[in-house]
Parts: sequence; structure tokens; C-alpha cells
Amino acid sequence: MHYDLIIIGMGLSGLMAAKTATEMGKRVLIIGKGMGSLGLFSNTIDVLGSLPETMKMKPHRQTPDGDTKTHWGEHPVPAPEDQFTQEQVSGPLGTGIRNGLSQWVKDHPEHPYSKVGLERIEEALSSFISLFPPPYSFEATIDGNTLIPTGAGTFRPTHLIPVTMVAGTSLKEGDALIVGFKGFKDFYAHYVVNRLNCQGITLPLPEPFDREITATALARLMEKESFRETIGKEIKKQLHGQTRVGLPAILGIQNPFKVKKGLEEIINAEVFEIPILPPSIPGIRIFNRFKEWLIERGATFLLGHSISKALLKDKKCKGVDVLNPPILNSYFADRYILATGRFIGGGLVADEEKIFESILGLPVSQPKEREEWFQKSFFNNLSHPVHQAGLLTDSSLRPVDERGDLVLENVWIAGSILAHHHCIDEKSREGIEIATGYMAARMAFSKQY
Amino acid sequence: MKLQTEVLIIGGGATGVGISRDLSLRGIPSILIEKGDFASGASGRNHGLFHSGGRYAVSDPGAAQECMAENRILRRIAPHCIEETEGLFISLPEDGLDFRDQFLRGCEEAEIPATLCSRDEALALEPELNPAILSAVKVPDGAIDPFTLILENLRDAENHGAKFLLHTETTSLILNGDRVRGITAKDLIHGEAYSIDASYLINATGAWANQFLKLAGLHIDMALSKGTMLITNQRLNQRVINRCRRPSDGDIIVPNDTVSILGTTSLRSEDVENFEVTSTEVSLLIKETSKMIPAIKEARLIRAYAGIRPLFQSGEKGNDRAISRGFALIDHEKREGLKNLITITGGKLVTYRLMAEKTSDLICQKMGGNISCLTHMRPLPGADHPSRLIDRLRKISQSISADRGEILCDCEMIGREEVQDFLKESKLKDLRDLLHRTRLAKGTCQGGFCIYRLLGVLHDLKMGEVDSNTVLKGFLEERWKGIRPILWGTSIKEEELIESIYKGIFNLTPTHPSPLEGEGEGGGAG
Repeated sequence: MHYDLIIIGMGLSGLMAAKTATEMGKRVLIIGKGMGSLGLFSNTIDVLGSLPETMKMKPHRQTPDGDTKTHWGEHPVPAPEDQFTQEQVSGPLGTGIRNGLSQWVKDHPEHPYSKVGLERIEEALSSFISLFPPPYSFEATIDGNTLIPTGAGTFRPTHLIPVTMVAGTSLKEGDALIVGFKGFKDFYAHYVVNRLNCQGITLPLPEPFDREITATALARLMEKESFRETIGKEIKKQLHGQTRVGLPAILGIQNPFKVKKGLEEIINAEVFEIPILPPSIPGIRIFNRFKEWLIERGATFLLGHSISKALLKDKKCKGVDVLNPPILNSYFADRYILATGRFIGGGLVADEEKIFESILGLPVSQPKEREEWFQKSFFNNLSHPVHQAGLLTDSSLRPVDERGDLVLENVWIAGSILAHHHCIDEKSREGIEIATGYMAARMAFSKQY
Repeated sequence: MKLQTEVLIIGGGATGVGISRDLSLRGIPSILIEKGDFASGASGRNHGLFHSGGRYAVSDPGAAQECMAENRILRRIAPHCIEETEGLFISLPEDGLDFRDQFLRGCEEAEIPATLCSRDEALALEPELNPAILSAVKVPDGAIDPFTLILENLRDAENHGAKFLLHTETTSLILNGDRVRGITAKDLIHGEAYSIDASYLINATGAWANQFLKLAGLHIDMALSKGTMLITNQRLNQRVINRCRRPSDGDIIVPNDTVSILGTTSLRSEDVENFEVTSTEVSLLIKETSKMIPAIKEARLIRAYAGIRPLFQSGEKGNDRAISRGFALIDHEKREGLKNLITITGGKLVTYRLMAEKTSDLICQKMGGNISCLTHMRPLPGADHPSRLIDRLRKISQSISADRGEILCDCEMIGREEVQDFLKESKLKDLRDLLHRTRLAKGTCQGGFCIYRLLGVLHDLKMGEVDSNTVLKGFLEERWKGIRPILWGTSIKEEELIESIYKGIFNLTPTHPSPLEGEGEGGGAG
């Protein structure tokens, strides 16, 4: 079977590349072991959480949280004459974040964002947003980043949030009831409220679900009307004047908007989701939406399969072998996109001495010695250098070596495996994945190639 | 608060707690103060080897004999703290057989039962061994759980009237002519100040001996030797595996419950509080121990840790491995004229009881009495209980079958109810004490997930009054010391996951140093 494009990796960057190429009318095969970090961390779409110093942002409100205050303290307090907040929004990027990004790109010429460029980042984000029409849509504020409450009772800045999280963004002291569930060990209402100065309750689940329960099981149960009703009525009983109710991000996988509305009708208060420990149910929703869209448009999905061997010849990738024991299949394409992620995704592999790229054997830019991979303290003002390690590319995202020479001519790199970003500290993971996934597909089919 | 006692023991390691038990059985009242938790020093930071004495059979026959004699006693009084695994001293081709022959003679002299096994016999016993070995010598080594051993001594001592103050640090020594009248101390968690008067004082602070003696203007010659160990996430060997050669780096693999512990290095250290494991040490340990068990190269490591051996120097200098592992009982009356102060240091975990006996004998002698030691006769309170592993498995099966709440720690199968029971029963001052006493956070993820859940449960029980995120960050920082040296392979994936959770999803950021920073976690062998 011959394809126009084979994408290796099924996380957000691979999916985004698949969508982009499919929209260009290409025959696409996407191969992945799993959904990458999408199903672990991607509750919302981060673009750039730590905006550059020159950025002027306007906080929405005072937060009761110490960590967030520290965070704000790292950035200049907004000046009243702030010129950006007055502007109109155009495109998916709020003016605040666009100015922040434009400064970021200037300050970090090696960063993946700088290779993609502001214009294409906006196109990519627009493309992502278009995949989620209402009612389960993604929203952003004009200032760029929104602060959302988390399972540790902190706030975190993020760019695009699903509609199910919106009511949590303007949380005020005392106006919310936070609800946890007995037997669900990845969310603790009292932990959250202790820092947010709100009320918290831990509800017992109806039999036979009253023992240990996982996020996925809880999310599926929430889609059952009878279950929702039991929970909703119980919450309503415990509501004492609060205007909104926060729950862990488990409000259904298939139709979260319906779950939210259903609960709101019973409780008679606004309901919002709070991101929790992995797995990320909102991330799984994103994956499912991409998958549904891509399959509808004829892209081929090979989920749960991994590449056993890539056939490389004359600076080109000629094909890939996929082993699904005992069957070995070979697939061929003109172009390939590598979007295999970092260590969790399996794109990068480390042994005692060195970091490798796992499928094509591409050179990995990395610190000289293992001793330099990590800072001496876990929480450090400087990021751990190992997170900057990754693949080097030319301006069109094709892999190059340390000297800048092209390694493979028909391969493009997308996602967090790219070098020179600190997506955890920058809070830029999904932004990088979306932007580079989009860019890689565009470049693969550009006229230059 | 003013307190008064007959004997004041400083230091809550195996020696200090052992002395407390010994004195209590002789009917002598005592108070023990410890600035951290029990077993925070070398007692909790070792490979958990239950010595037969074989390791010193050639280099230090005196210590070897002591070890074997105590080995026999502990099997009687503390069977529940010991796994009688046996041990093999294996000879690799590069070691030759000369040392093995000396070793066999040494064992005979020290009365250590030793059996020579052929290569095939050894491989049948331990299939993961390097097939190139020449032969092996079987000795009665084993694995010991230092923390249970200490808690058992504590329990018996408390039953006999001994008192304990944890997280309490000595701030000064009150001298009165040729005697120490007592000490002042401070509770490091609640800030309470103590003044404790005592007729006799025992410095059982191990590596901290000179820090304590400094308060009296005294000093003894000690070498502090850092030993580093690695923990694998599975048990690779059933018996203790030793290299049959002179003790050196990376020559021992001790099985411990579900894991194996690879040890050790020996590096001079100046600082007893702040020391780190270097990547050079980690590489050396892997290189050396994998010569004995090649599978170590592929094994996943879950933690690196180090402890400081307090070695007493009686004049000799040079190679620390050549310094006797025997103990030193110092009567400061004879040495400097301070009538009622004793220092006990050096020694091995396996000789803790003997050290306690000799120290208590000296106390009795000073008191002018002659009460006999009973600790070698009387089993510890839980001695008739089944072994820990079986106990634990039974508990796990119960928590799964019955409705006992969710599992908080997936790696070590610790249920919510177990934690709640523990919190209700004990009067713990510090979260670390809970972590020290359960297997929570001891497994493959090293608490990455369950620490958050534990804090959540504390909030549910209305016990989470302190700022949980400060505690959380402190825990992660402490955890970091153990995992930073071993982050590659699967561990680096786990690291990315944990960092993405706490810095990513929860947006925890570096702020002021937390109160937990810079203190030992202890409980190394788990």
C-alpha cells in the first residue's frame, strides 16, 4: 500500500499533521502506539504560559493562591496604559499572547515556534479550533492566557480551554462548591478548597460503584442520565448559596457538554471541570475528535502498532515495517512525518550515557554528559537541560545534524521531540504540538520539496 | 519543660534504641532523644545485610567473630526482622582462588559455617549469576529490616518504662566540674525547649559523634565514609551475593523483600548531613555488580541512596576499608576526666545489641552495681509473629477482597484504610515519619502519585492543616535526591511524567526552600 504521507506518532502533533495533510487532499497513514501525552496531560491547550518579561498582561482578578501570586510576581504588573488589551482580537490568538509570542520568537530563534512563525501558529490554532464547533468548543480570552484552578488548589495559566472549564476561570473566594468522590483517589475536594477558600464535599458513589473507581469509569458513568441525576441531586442538597460547582475533569467522554448541562439543570448552578492527575479525560476527547474526523475523511489509522524498522536509503526513508506479532507489514510513502514525542512517547530513549532517537536513528542534540541532564534540585529556577534535548531541523522542520547538514530529505519532524524548548516550564506543550504538526504537513507538501 | 532521668541517650539509631532496651530490662530508667526520626542515620541507610561476618573473615577476624556470634543471637531474639537467605561469596575468573582459600580458613577461625559450592551448584541456587564464576562459598548471611528491628527494640523498651523524644535536638551541654549535669534541647517541630538532667549520658549519635562532643569541647578521631547503594525494582537474587575478594566497591547484592540492593562505594565525606550520590558512583556500582549478576545491566533502578559509616580510627590512616568495622566504646572519664559521659560509635548494624550490652555494662560499673544483661536471652516482642512479607501479602489480599477503601500507593499496594489506621493510632509529628513507617512511596514510582493522594487523604481527615503544596514540594525535592542519579531508561519516562504532573498540570513553581529540604529521608533499605 502506498501513501502520500506516513505519520509516525499519534499524539497531538501527529494528529494535527494528519488533519492538515488530509485537508490538502493527501492519502495519509497515521501509525501510533497510543495517543501520546495527549491522554495524560492535555486538559487544555497551552501556548505560552510564561510570557516574556516585556509582555504586559492584565490579570482577571486577584487569586487566592500563593503559587499563582509568585507566578504573577515574575512578570511585570500590568500598567494602566496597557496598549494591547484595548485592541480587538483577530484570529485565535488574543492580542496579549500574540505580542508575547512575537517577543518570544525574537528572543528564542532556535525555539520551534520561531521556525513556525507567528502567522502559521495562528493558522494552526485556527485549524485546531475549527475541529471543535459548539457546543464542546475551545475558548480563549482577549488577554491571551486564562487562569484555571487545578487539583492541587493552584491556578495555572493556559490559552484555550474547553467550554466545560470556563466557569472555573472567574472563581471568587467562597462562591464555589468543589465536589470530590469517595473511592476516586485522584482528586480531593478538601485539598483544593483549603487553598481556594471555597467549600468542599466528598460524595459517596451509589452502589455498585462505591469502591475504588477510575477517572475513565467515572467519566463513562457520568454519561448515564440516571447516574448523573443521583449525583446532581446529592450536590444540590449540599449547595448553600454557591453559584458554581467544580468537579474533577471527568464529565463524560463522548458528550461532555450534555453532561455539564444535565448537571446544571439539576443543581441550578454553573458547573466546571478541574484538571487532575493523568489520565486526562479532556485529552482523550481531543484524541477521539481527531480520530473521528480523520477516519471520516479517509485517513488510515493504525492504532496500537509500533514501527519495528525503517528502511533508509540515499538520505531518504523508503518505508516502514510494522510488527503486530506474528504479522509483519511494510508500508510505503513519498513523505514521512516523525511525531513520536519525547521519553514518555518513546521518540527519545536514554541509556546510561546518551539519548537516542528511537526509530530513524536521527542525531539528538543533548548535553555532553549525563551528570548535566538534570539540575541538582527538582524545583529550580533553571529548567532541567535534558528537556532541551531533541532533534535539530532546518527551517522547514527537516532533520539536520550538528553541522546543519540535512540527514533525511523526505522526513519532517513535529511535536515535542524537537530540540530547544522547555514545554513543561514554558507551558507550551500543546501549542508546540499543534503548530509544528501543522507546519510539518504544510512543508512536506510545499513546492520547494 | 524540665525532665530528669538516670541515663540520657542521645541518638535514635539501632545502637541508641538498643541501649534503651538493654537498660530498661535491667531496670535502669532512661530517656532517648533523637533529632530526626528513628534510623535517620546509618541504621536506616545501609544495604540491610544481616552479616555472617564473612565479609571480614580475612581482613578483620575480630569483627568477623563478633558478627557471627551476634548473628546467632539475633536469629533467636529477632527472627521476624530477618530473612534467612544465606549468602554466597562468588569467585570470578579475574579474582582467582587464592583469596577464596584464605576466606575458607578465615571462616573456620571465626567459626562462620562455610560450605564450598561448585560452579554448577551455585548456578542451580542462583540462576542469574554470571555463568563464568569459578566457585562459591555458602555462609549464613541474610537480609535484615533495620527499621522493624529498631521499632521492636523501642516497643520493648517502652514496655519497660523507657522514654523517647523524637525530632528533638541537643542545643547545649551543661557542665558541672568533672560531670555533665544534663543538656538543653529543642523540639524541632513544635519549638518546645527542654532541659534534661541526667546522672549519665551516652553519646550514641554515630556519624554525628563529634558534633555532640564539640558541645563539651571534646573530639575523637573518626573517619566518615560515604557508602552509596542502588535499588532495583525487582528481586534478582534469593541469596546475598558477595564477591570473594578483599572488600571493595560494588561487591555485594542484597535481596530485600521485593527488590535487590546493590552496594557499595566507600568515599571520604566531611559532611554528615549533605552528601549526594554522583553519577560516577552509580556507573561504578552497575559496572561492578553486573559482573556478578549480568541482568543488572538491564534492570530498572528505582533509587540511589547513601549513608555515612562512622568509622573509629585507632591510630591507623589510609584506606577506609582497612579500618576495623568493630565498635569503639569510649569512657570519657578515662580519656578526659568527664565522669559520666560515654561515647559508643563504629560497629555494624548486626552488632548493635552487643554494643548496647557493653555500653550498659559500663554504665552499671559506673553506678557501682552489677546487673546482668538480658537482651540476648529475651526475644523481641513480635518474635513469634510471621515474617513481614507474608504479613504484608495477607494484608494486601484483605484490602482487595473487602471494602477497605481505595489503594493509594499502586506500586506497594498500600490501601487508604491502612494509612488512616496508622494516622489514628500513632502520635506522629511529621509526615516523613508516616512515610518512614509504611511502604508508601517505596515502590517503582517512589511516591510520584501516592504523595498527592496521601495529602488528599490528610485533608479528608482534617489533618492537612499545613500548606500541603509546601509539603508536596518538599517531598518531591527529597525524592529527587534519590532518583536524579539514576534517570535513564524507563526511569526517565517516569520523571517526565511526574514533572509534567506537578509543574505542568498543577503548576507548582520553585519558591522559597521548603521546611523539608536538607534533611535525610532515611529508611534506605525499605
